[in-house]
Amino acid sequence: MKNYLKLVNFEFNRVAKLFVVLLGITLVIQMVGVIVLSKEYLNMANEKIYEDMMTKIEFLENFGKMNFSQIVRSIWFFGPIGLCAAGVGFYIFLIWYRDWVGKNTFIYRLLMLPTTRLNIFYAKITNILILTFGLVAFQLIIMPIEMLVMKGMVPTEFRSDMGLNKIIAVMPELSIIIPRSLIELILYYGAGVLAVAILFTAILMERSFKWKGILVGLLYSAIAVVFMILPLLLQEFVFNGFFYPIELLGIEIVMGVMVLTASVWLSRFLLMKKITV
Amino acid sequence: MKKYWKSIAILVVILLSLGTYYVNAAMSAEHYPEFVIRTLSGDANEIRPLVLDSSYAADTSTRSYTYTSLKINADGSTYNNSSFLDQLIGQPPTLIKSLRKEYPTFMRGKDPFADYFFENKEYLAYADVKYGTLSSRNYKFDIAVLNKKDEKTNSFKVEVPNEKGLENVSVEDVQMVDGVLYLITHNMMRDQEDLHDEKHIYIIDQGNQKISNHEAIIQVPEQQDNLRTDLQFIRTSPTKANDHLFILKTEKKMIEDTESTREEVVGQEVISYNIAMKETEKINVPDLKLDENQLSFADESTIYFMTLDGEELVVTPYSLMDDQVGQAYRIQLSGEDGMAYAYMTTVKAGKLYIVSAQMTPKIGADVIVADAHSGKTLFKGQIALKDASKEKGNFELYMNEMFVD
Repeated sequence: MKNYLKLVNFEFNRVAKLFVVLLGITLVIQMVGVIVLSKEYLNMANEKIYEDMMTKIEFLENFGKMNFSQIVRSIWFFGPIGLCAAGVGFYIFLIWYRDWVGKNTFIYRLLMLPTTRLNIFYAKITNILILTFGLVAFQLIIMPIEMLVMKGMVPTEFRSDMGLNKIIAVMPELSIIIPRSLIELILYYGAGVLAVAILFTAILMERSFKWKGILVGLLYSAIAVVFMILPLLLQEFVFNGFFYPIELLGIEIVMGVMVLTASVWLSRFLLMKKITV
Repeated sequence: MKKYWKSIAILVVILLSLGTYYVNAAMSAEHYPEFVIRTLSGDANEIRPLVLDSSYAADTSTRSYTYTSLKINADGSTYNNSSFLDQLIGQPPTLIKSLRKEYPTFMRGKDPFADYFFENKEYLAYADVKYGTLSSRNYKFDIAVLNKKDEKTNSFKVEVPNEKGLENVSVEDVQMVDGVLYLITHNMMRDQEDLHDEKHIYIIDQGNQKISNHEAIIQVPEQQDNLRTDLQFIRTSPTKANDHLFILKTEKKMIEDTESTREEVVGQEVISYNIAMKETEKINVPDLKLDENQLSFADESTIYFMTLDGEELVVTPYSLMDDQVGQAYRIQLSGEDGMAYAYMTTVKAGKLYIVSAQMTPKIGADVIVADAHSGKTLFKGQIALKDASKEKGNFELYMNEMFVD
């Protein structure tokens, strides 16, 4: 356990800089977005009211009030989130391959540590999870601040305020990243961990058998995916909706746990017996 | 400790941030107002068996509505939990929900539409149409009959006979008369270029699991020049046994004005079909004029023809026993500009239930129970906010379906 925690800390320190850069980019771009969009709205209001001689009421009827969800819908807000997602996706591969490249192959030292090699696998997957949750947590912290900035710029009669929960509720895209209930959080991110575990297994296959390993890795991923969607296909085409939805969820969870176990077991085998430096 | 500060910091941030968010989300769980049926006059016991499947939307200034479903009955309102698991389980209509509770095994894989079910003391029957691939258009009835006594299910698939250009089949009603299963469907037939609508009946031989006989009840061309004919079943309780089917045939003429086209009803007749005898009979109701939003309902041996006249619902009972038109009566509804709002109606056990389809802060929603034969109002009430002083702002409440136990 202690060794695992040490490894987690060690891995996190290696990625901390990249992580902070992602946080910084997100904060800056989103904040600029809030200011630009609020300004745009205000300019439009000024133009209509002072130049086109619209009354305030007419303007509000035609153009509506400013609302934070308009900012959330813009590229200013979603761009950085997409960038962070891409960054984490990229790092899923980098977290392994960076150990093999460079002057002194770092993986050699990692594998030589006096601890079970599976801890390396666990530490890396934990780090991906920390990165993801870290970005989500940061987003949750800066959103109220961004709302405050908008409130400071747009006068009360021109904006309609919404709570954080409400904004996330009306944005289906956001509620994938920030699920509305703990159960969903566990299910969504559990599925994420499963996907990362499958990818890690495929990466380890490539590291063990090189070119042939890519093929085996792809095959393994395909089998895992088929295994996961098999209950859904059977339900639709063979059983004609035999299972109630809640039972189907149960079956899917069992399938997920099975695939996860298989991935961990395979990874353990590869790390212990087959991995080459 | 010093070399761990980054990891500890990020973990603390994650836990605090997500923790605060989810605790907040749980605490400030969306607040929904409670609705009650307030008695204006009459006996409040009359609405005991009534359940209204409704949906509520709070007006948000972004013009995006999210509907939450709720049930309203004599005791007040219960919101269906909008949690993820509840959404996953789904919110089937009250009837399907109670059937699922009682017959969980039988109800597996059955589409949640009340029209597909028939229930009496001995049997619970279900029928649906399964499609083959789009290219081969291979329709099959998916039939299941549960014998409640020995708890045995007879389920089978049987091919829909396709004699002449069957384009589409949909099940509209399932009936059982004297132990014989009947499927009543709406079929679309293609005869060269012309489309025909028809109501069709299939008699199912449960023992041999095949269709023993079938025939068209009535067939009309889809459209001819400016004439359009609609066939519509007069509604009955979805699961109730009926030995007669009643079809309202409406002929409409398209009239082209300079700018728009409108439809005018040119002829209307009610056709009664005796399921067991396979006899079609025209029912002669003088001065029948049922408009688009006709709410007619057949119950036991009476058809209640209903039509809106201004703010009043005019109900004409028609007794099938002696082919007599009964005394028409009028029930005052609330409306606007001389037009009644949308309503839904049901007749069960000699009682007529009328419920508004919509409620907003400006539009009140009526709940009326009347004696179906005489029109005497037994209960009159209104759906109201339980605590009106606390609830401000706009909302919309829709009554989607009513269920009388």
